[in-house]
Amino acid sequence: MQTAMLTNRAETQMVRSLGVRIGGRTTPEAPMETLRSNLASGGEESSEGPPSSGGKCPFTGMVNDAMGAAESEPKKPVWTAGALARIEAIPPYIQPMVKRNVESYAREQGYLEIDEDVMDAVRGSLGM
Amino acid sequence: MSGKGGVGKSTVTACLADGLARLGVRTGVLDADLNGPCMARLMGVKDHKPSPQNGAMIPARNAYSVPVMSMDMFLPEDETPLVWEASSQQGAYTWRSMVEMSALRELLSDTDWGDLDVLLIDLPPGAERLQNLADLLPDLTGAIVVSTASQTAMTVVSRSILMALNVADVKIAGVVENMSTMICSECGCNEQMFIGAETVEELAERHGVPYLGAIPFNITLADYLETGRSYIEEHAGHPAAHAILNVAQRVHFSLKSQSK
Repeated sequence: MQTAMLTNRAETQMVRSLGVRIGGRTTPEAPMETLRSNLASGGEESSEGPPSSGGKCPFTGMVNDAMGAAESEPKKPVWTAGALARIEAIPPYIQPMVKRNVESYAREQGYLEIDEDVMDAVRGSLGM
Repeated sequence: MSGKGGVGKSTVTACLADGLARLGVRTGVLDADLNGPCMARLMGVKDHKPSPQNGAMIPARNAYSVPVMSMDMFLPEDETPLVWEASSQQGAYTWRSMVEMSALRELLSDTDWGDLDVLLIDLPPGAERLQNLADLLPDLTGAIVVSTASQTAMTVVSRSILMALNVADVKIAGVVENMSTMICSECGCNEQMFIGAETVEELAERHGVPYLGAIPFNITLADYLETGRSYIEEHAGHPAAHAILNVAQRVHFSLKSQSK
């Protein structure tokens, strides 16, 4: 057990970058844990078996909040068939961009599912 | 390694994996280019998703059973950029190299490579990653330097050789010349790709390191690699296949000599 006091964001980020799990661990070590847990570009979706996270330390939550971890690991909203059909009706070359924008809007609004109502709301927010 | 981008390090790595496997050398491929990974694609395993088993990550195996581990297997889509989680990407220069070093260490040590004779590590352009590797692998057998005969590339490559020898203290297994000539797919004639004052062979000689041979540019080779099949096996007798096998033999010999 080692103890350190991390006094600012830069220090905390630096220590996390070294693969140190701040707050300790509650689950066994997993292979490529640092790589997968530090990957913001969808790493955990791209490999099987999520890396361990969390800890018993009461400050872990505070650290994660301060580092924006909660915001950077949002659950990806689920698309309904109706909403996907509407995406498929638009020109293919702009589909990825529209999907990203709709997902971003859904996350901001706290929607876990993207249906046709959410898509209408996105259009409304863009003044269309 | 080369130090210069665009000389074909990844292509040569894929070719060497093919050649060494043909020679019966148990070979693995690790893509150490975290920001521009392409080895999964070049080895024909880009859709593989690594999975943990018995405390290690299982690498992809291509059509001729070479294990491959690459960052692009962890990214959800081909064009997804590598972004590390942080409260802000500003100031990333202070921590990015550390997280990349940790990632490289895990790609190396947390992969279940099985029994290997040779692990080929494809480096990104620049000399920094070689120093990282030398820190992680003090017993690194040697660096294979890839260069074209472009005088611009050779100047940068020359600098990298000096860096490897004098700063990183890494032995050079030899220099491979890539895109030495172009084999016309219509008539089969062999055309010189670059003309300059110094040849790649002379560059190797100047630095006192072995010249391991040349691989010609071949338009079908690039296309072929992405299928993950063995170019050498299916194009036996073609000058490019012969050249790759020849380079692989010399690489194997050089690595064996270095590791003694």
